[in-house]
Amino acid sequence: MLKRLKLRKLIDGLLQILTFGFSSLSFITLGAILVFLFNQGWSLMSPDLVTYNFESDTYLASIERFDDPCNCVATVELDETFVYSEKWGLGVTEGLDLLGQPSISLSYIHPDSPFRTLTNKSSVGPEEFPFLKEYLISKISYNDRSASFARRGAARLVSDLESSNSIYEIEVTTKGGGIRGSLITTLWLIGLTLIVALPIGIGAALYLNEYARSNQFTKTIRSFIEVLTGVPSIIFGLLGLAIFVPLIVQLTSSWDEPATGGNLISGALTLAVILLPVIIRTTEESLKVVPNEYRFASLALGASKTQTTFKVVIPNAIPGILASTLLAIGRIVGESAALIFAIGTIVRDEITLTDKSTSLAVHIYSMMTDEPANIALSSTIALIILGIVLVLNLSIKFISYRFMKGRLGAQVH
Amino acid sequence: MNQNQIKKLVDKIVENIFFATAILSASFIVIIVLVILERGITPFITDNDGLGQVNLLRFLTGVVYLDGPTFLSNAYGIGYLIISTLYNAFLALILAAPVSVLTALFIAKIAPKWMGELLRTIIEILAAIPSVVYGLFGSGVILDLVYDLSLIAGVQSAGGLSVLSTVIVLAIMIVPTMTVISEVAIRSVDKSLIQGSLALGASQTQTHFKVVLAAAKSGIFTAAILGVGRALGEATAVALVAGSRRSGITFNLFDTTATLTSTMLLGMKETVGLDYTIRFSIGLVLMVVILLTNLSLNFLKRKVGRVNA
Repeated sequence: MLKRLKLRKLIDGLLQILTFGFSSLSFITLGAILVFLFNQGWSLMSPDLVTYNFESDTYLASIERFDDPCNCVATVELDETFVYSEKWGLGVTEGLDLLGQPSISLSYIHPDSPFRTLTNKSSVGPEEFPFLKEYLISKISYNDRSASFARRGAARLVSDLESSNSIYEIEVTTKGGGIRGSLITTLWLIGLTLIVALPIGIGAALYLNEYARSNQFTKTIRSFIEVLTGVPSIIFGLLGLAIFVPLIVQLTSSWDEPATGGNLISGALTLAVILLPVIIRTTEESLKVVPNEYRFASLALGASKTQTTFKVVIPNAIPGILASTLLAIGRIVGESAALIFAIGTIVRDEITLTDKSTSLAVHIYSMMTDEPANIALSSTIALIILGIVLVLNLSIKFISYRFMKGRLGAQVH
Repeated sequence: MNQNQIKKLVDKIVENIFFATAILSASFIVIIVLVILERGITPFITDNDGLGQVNLLRFLTGVVYLDGPTFLSNAYGIGYLIISTLYNAFLALILAAPVSVLTALFIAKIAPKWMGELLRTIIEILAAIPSVVYGLFGSGVILDLVYDLSLIAGVQSAGGLSVLSTVIVLAIMIVPTMTVISEVAIRSVDKSLIQGSLALGASQTQTHFKVVLAAAKSGIFTAAILGVGRALGEATAVALVAGSRRSGITFNLFDTTATLTSTMLLGMKETVGLDYTIRFSIGLVLMVVILLTNLSLNFLKRKVGRVNA
């Protein structure tokens, strides 16, 4: 008897250890994901990231006073952060560009330097442009000596400059690796999708909760909407490709920039369909918490059904509608498969509604399927996405506890 | 018209507008099915601009994705993809099921309140992480781990792109979904059952495993059904770790693989021609696979439930 009890205790202990071990796996996974993303992506996290273009532009330029060194004394204090060429009034710094490659950037330019205004030699881009601090110097060629290249370092570049009296041309590139374009696309997608999905979703929720009789027909509508939640997002992508893309191509054919293939608007419409069941369900939950007494009181005071809906029911359901909006934004930011079909995977800097571009999530996919994959910048974008998703989820949790007695619960895709 | 009639008219109009939005929302599933059906069947019944009809039998049983050059051949076969899609999803389920069920049990019955709350928050965060981030994590971490493992095991592996990596990533992705639903099922187990078990002298742990889990069986099965559904339909994360296999059935864990979804994502560049339309056929097959899996698991669930009762 005692032996059996001991065996029982042993088995119980093992099972407890097993349970605890398996439970800690989720914790370990989240930890591993965060460590990986911070490790890879944190170094590229900077305010520049959101303002710079992804593609870098290269300009080949000459300077007007090419043989007129200024010999200008620096107006700022010379310190260790940059190397200064007094002859040409140019201070440069060695560093890394946003893609993590070594580079030389302009950090100071003297007001009298002949480099202040560059004349573009190539046919694209502006004819004359100022030499800005965000430009990277890749090469300077001279008329009286061999050219200097960025990869040889800043000190070498400056000593070359000091020894030359006549500049032939300079090659500058704008800093690439920024996510400005993808960020703008994501914001457009959020705006357009919500404009389409919220009225339809809230309307449907109001019908189902306030107007619909409980009969077979209503049940069918409900189950049709419910089925939509189980459809994989890649199938929605096919819907966008087959219906929304041709629709937008046709509708915009008379515009200045007509759509020719996947475009931002069709992406937003596709997302709207994905989000409808989410918005309907969450809004309905919030309508259910509005006490029936409110409705009866309003109707008893002589208000019409419409007045009751708009002046009593909806104002009381605002927290839930807000929660569903936040939930929707989270899904828009994270969605990838459907958008790959409906907008495409080409990263753009100039965003037009009728052209291809990428959201932040698709930007990651696009870079990860490139050769070689850019894991560093992908991780940085992933950190940004995680930050957004985390803030949204915490807000939803807050709204849910504060206003809806916790009715939203955990959201499962 | 007096004021009352106007009010009634407005009521009627507003109700009809709401009704229209509800109908519109419900109609999208019908539109999706119709569109994919129509487009998906096209390659089999038209001559595809001179390429000839795609052979349906060969398409469903073939082990080579495309025999011949793109846009010049109609010899598509996705039989091996159907098998590998199901294989990957079910392996992921086998990996994820014990983790999610035990985590759910821990949160619902064992953990102190604060720890359960913390763990639940972690699960919710994991559920909210977009799939492309899991793909990134997979190709940055899991691929290396699997590659190292293959070196230790002494087998060939294409830099870690393999069945095993795909299964691990899928398992990580479906654990949160399954945990949340299992937890609800475990929580709703009748208290008197548990008290009865304890009163009969069963230990706390015995009760958890033999009574609570058994009673929550049906809910856990629902969790598994949702988990498999998600694994079958997952696209971007899988595409980044699978290795886009072009032919051949494999059950080797270290071999490259591909799924219906990852193949649909491949080379999405053209929007005309057979190579574009065939994606709808694959999508159609995917929907049928998901539907059949769902139906058979639901059938199984009813059987299991009946034995229990």
